[in-house]
This record gives sequence, C-alpha cells and structure tokens, in this order.
Amino acid sequence: MLSPSDIKLLAFAQTLELTTRDIYAAVLTRKSLSDDESALLEQFHAHHVAYEQTLNGLLSKNALNKRDEAIYESFNAKLSEAQNIWVALLEIENIMIASHTKAIETIESAKVAALVASIITVEARHAAILASQTTTNISMALDNNTSALVAS
Amino acid sequence: MSTFTRRELLRMSGISLASGLVLAACGKQAGVVDDNAITILGQSPVTTPLADAEVTDAVLLRTAASLEYNAIETYTTALDLGVFTGDLRKVAEIAKRFSADHKDHADAVNSLAVKLGAKEFRCSNTRISESYILPALKLITANDNPNQAIDIVALAHAVENLAAQTYQGVVAMLTDPMLRADAIRIGQQEARHAAILAQILNPGLKNVGPTSDTKTGKPNIAAVPTEFGSLANIQLVIGKPKPDGTRTTLLLETPSLNSLVYDFVACEA
Repeated sequence: MLSPSDIKLLAFAQTLELTTRDIYAAVLTRKSLSDDESALLEQFHAHHVAYEQTLNGLLSKNALNKRDEAIYESFNAKLSEAQNIWVALLEIENIMIASHTKAIETIESAKVAALVASIITVEARHAAILASQTTTNISMALDNNTSALVAS
Repeated sequence: MSTFTRRELLRMSGISLASGLVLAACGKQAGVVDDNAITILGQSPVTTPLADAEVTDAVLLRTAASLEYNAIETYTTALDLGVFTGDLRKVAEIAKRFSADHKDHADAVNSLAVKLGAKEFRCSNTRISESYILPALKLITANDNPNQAIDIVALAHAVENLAAQTYQGVVAMLTDPMLRADAIRIGQQEARHAAILAQILNPGLKNVGPTSDTKTGKPNIAAVPTEFGSLANIQLVIGKPKPDGTRTTLLLETPSLNSLVYDFVACEA
C-alpha cells in the first residue's frame, strides 16, 4: 500500500517517463537516422515504456497517464534540428536521473525506492551511450549538470 | 496393507507423545541441575563469542567505501601493467578519470558514514579482493595470456558493474531515504563507467543492447544489458584460451553478510 506522499512522487515520475517515451517516439519518426541508430533508440524507447508501465502498475487507479506537455514541447523544439537529437536525448535522460534521484530522497517505501533506483542505473547507461554519439569528451558521458524536476 | 488396527495406532501415538514429554522434562527447562555425571574426553575449547554484527546504514556505507578502494586498486594495477598502448591508449586516460571518480566516491560515502558516528574505511574489501579480484589478476597477468590488455578492461568493467549493483542494492536496505538518494547518486555514475567500458570491450551501436555469442550462446558484454538494473551475478570471462577455445569464467557477486564492513572491521592495510 503506497502512502499518499509516495503516490504523488510516483505519479510525477510516471508523467516524466511518459514524456520521455514520447520524445523518443518523436525522434524515431526521423528519416535521418541510420538503421543502427534507430535500433538503439527503439531499445531505449522500449525501456521508458517499461518504466512508465511499471509505475502505472504500482499506482493502479492513482496513475496519471499523461505526459508533461510543457517539457514535451520544449524538447520538440530542440529536436527540430537533426544535429541536436543526441544532445537533447542526453539532456532528457540526465533530467530523468536527477529527478528520480531527488524523488528517492523522500520516497518512504524502501522497495519503491529500490525500483526507482533500478531505473536510474539503466538511464545512466543510456546517458553514457548517448553522450558518446555526440562527443569524445568523457565528462559529457559521466557528469550530470541538469536540475531535478520535482512534483508540484 | 498395514496390519495395525485403529486402536493399536492410537495407543502407539500415545506412547510416543508420553516418551517425548519425559525426555523434554529431563532437559534444562525442567530445572534439572547438571551434576557433571556425564563425562567428556579431553578439554573442551573455550569459545569466543562472535562480535555483534548488525547491518546498519553505517555498515552499508563503509562496505560501499571498501568497494571504491577495490576499484581504485584495479585501475592502479591496470595502469601499472603498461598494456594500454596502440588502439587502447585512450583507455589509460579513461582509467585515470574513473579512478579519480572512485576516490571522490570513497570520500563521499566515508563522509556520510562519519556523520552517522562510524569510522571511515579507507581500504579495499578483503573478501572481494580474495574471492574475485586477485584470482582474476592471476589469470590476467599470466605470462601465457595473450589478452592481458583487454582482460584488465574486462575486470574493470566487472568491478564497475559490481559497484553499480552494490549501490543499487543498498537502496532497499538503507533506512534513511536521504542516504538512499546519496547511494544511487554515486551508483548511477558507476553504471556510466560500466557502459563506457562495455563499449570498449564490445563496440558499436549494435552491441549496446543484449546480444549473445553465436558459437557459445553465452551473453556478450553489453553497455545496456537489461531494461532494469540487474542485481544478478556478474560474469567475467578472462585468461588464456583453453584447447576447446573457452576461457575461465568467474562469477562476481555484490557484498553479502560475510563481506560487509561491520563496525568492528578495521583496515588491514
């Protein structure tokens, strides 16, 4: 049984995952991607689908099931230039990591925190790979300078 | 078919129950004084009670710190081998950066442990060293191993996965939510390290996700092997190829109750 506070935090996490899922879906419509790039991004997209659905299952009737339109539109604008794709996807993954980590600071259930942690470690791997597509600067792959988004 | 009647069965079970009660009454519970009538041969050794080994937040943090030193030592050994030449020259720079990250992580988790009233721990985890890293290094540095450079990267990759899994795993065990966040803040960077090393070992976008060896069917090294962070054991395939082409597989596991750095564990260095 989730506490009201955990429900709020997880519902926000689900919204963020839905938004990220849709950002990947938008990128995947691009014809500029190679087959290998498409396959990679389809895999990452599928992961975000799995995260959103897992959170949906946990939240049950408390699930929000809607993306954050403001975040989605801001990234859509960034994605209008083909050369920005990797940097934009790196940024959204880093935002996910920062936001989920911030949520863990206040999630009451240790089991729920562990689930979110298992999402964070894979999103960190996503980020490292996305960074490697845009630069040889290893700091881009390792450091996360984004700010966490928090539930209002 | 049994030859016992129902009446005989009931009587036998009654006798068994009564016997049990008599035996139980002969024990200490019945207040029987030990008159030393039962002799023993030789001297019985004096036993030393084990120290209390409570798994606290501080113990988990000290254990995490110990793994950071395992990682630092792995990179130090890797760099000292002098095998990162040619195409692997860039790996030396990566190893230096990762080693510096681990020093920062060790400082961070030790600082958290000290805030909880525990002593900092600035040594590698003995059991992790003895069980995994030293046996791996023995195989890697053998004179007849033709893959020393790539094998030491494979060891570093395994150690990074071990660290990432450890931090992910302790999230469920730490009692303080702020410490859980601190742990995964470090753990996510270990996961990034592992992903980068995986791409050195098995490069290309096609190999980012899970793939398997076409000959053996075993999973290949992958930067993103699973959709959720795994806590399963980590396979490390290293050493000189055997006549059938296979190599030694070591299985690494995150610290368990017998490898945690309890309050009474002191640095041996």
